[in-house]
Amino acid sequence: MTDPLALDPVLPESERSRLTSIDQISHDERRRRFEAHIEAGGKVEAGDWMPDDYRTEVLRFVEMHANSELMGVLPEREWLMRAPTLRRKLALTAKVQDEVGHAQLLYRVAEDLGKPREAMFDDLLAGRTKFHNVFHYPTRSWGDVGIIAWLVDAAAIVAQQALRDSSYAPYARTMRKICWEEAVHIMHGRDVVVTLVTGTPVQRAMVQEALDRWWGPLMQMHGPRTPREKDRDLAWRIKAKTSEELRQEFLGIYVPRILELGLTIPDPDLRYDESAGAWRYREPDWDELRMVVTNHGPMSQERLEFRRLNREETRWVRESILGAPSSGGWRRGAPPPTSESEGPIIVAGAS
Amino acid sequence: MRHGGSVMAPDATLAVHYARELYGRRQESIRLWVVRRADIHDLQDPDLLQPPLDRSFKKPGGYVMRDKLEAARDQAGRAKPKAKDR
Repeated sequence: MTDPLALDPVLPESERSRLTSIDQISHDERRRRFEAHIEAGGKVEAGDWMPDDYRTEVLRFVEMHANSELMGVLPEREWLMRAPTLRRKLALTAKVQDEVGHAQLLYRVAEDLGKPREAMFDDLLAGRTKFHNVFHYPTRSWGDVGIIAWLVDAAAIVAQQALRDSSYAPYARTMRKICWEEAVHIMHGRDVVVTLVTGTPVQRAMVQEALDRWWGPLMQMHGPRTPREKDRDLAWRIKAKTSEELRQEFLGIYVPRILELGLTIPDPDLRYDESAGAWRYREPDWDELRMVVTNHGPMSQERLEFRRLNREETRWVRESILGAPSSGGWRRGAPPPTSESEGPIIVAGAS
Repeated sequence: MRHGGSVMAPDATLAVHYARELYGRRQESIRLWVVRRADIHDLQDPDLLQPPLDRSFKKPGGYVMRDKLEAARDQAGRAKPKAKDR
């Protein structure tokens, strides 16, 4: 695992694409050179020239990820005051803190691409941008907490591992830090599940029932299959693997680990097809996925409402610190509000 | 001192005799405590005995699951899955 204190430096000059908007070449040529740079495995830093569609694509990707980290703490937060032991409560609190920290890191990356943080919150709370399907569902028991911390985080880490080599370097660096922290979350989740499975019959039944409810959303989480050629994120090397590749990887690692505990997976069609070298499974309900991510899930509105209220209640803190009106005061196309601060605060890595 | 076992006896004197017969007859003990069960206070709560003040729950080392996993596997009657390289 990567040492979390070893922050990678910003790319040296030799690895940058060296394109600017005023070098004396045509727009098409500049774009062609950028595409060649990406195809050759080149990376892009925040201050480098990039085509607008690359910028938009990265922004959209990172913004959804940031939204998901922020909204993703809410299902687990519901159980902080109901954890069965102090150790579990502290572990869950630490996990929630880590996830919010990840959201902060990702909003920071997204801001540098040109969209202010307040605009991102406005869009999230107005339902204009999305967050991952799994965070729209209720938690019904402590078993859910174990299943989420183990399997939902595992599915997420499978995706995040594949992003560690993203063409957009700030995002790639953030992914490396996040993957290190998520690894501990998964151990915590697995520990909860294994403890329940080796507990009383009531505990075993509880965690099995939770798995039965969460399996559907888990299978939908990586998204429907898209052909490689049509995937813009792949073409720009923002991500490295298709949805189906991620799902197969998740199944390959975690199905054996689930079955070894004596749990059953509620998909009678799930099996590994040796001849095809792939897992076969019952087709996930893509209609359910579409409905849920457009904020029609069972908990979507309740959780967004919580965020809206929280944002209102904490507005005085932001205004005291930033010295400027925020939330609701940001209008699209308006110049940014003047503020006392000089600009973003740069954090350098400690050696 | 380790827990040796229990005896059923109508009073304390007989309990001591029975304990000596069952747990000391072959010189396996050098000391015996014989206590009425109702007088024992059993403290097992991990929050009291091992409060998580070391923050191990934040580190990978805080989740050693080998024994628990083995217990789960035995209970389920399943073998450890082989390392796969898919």
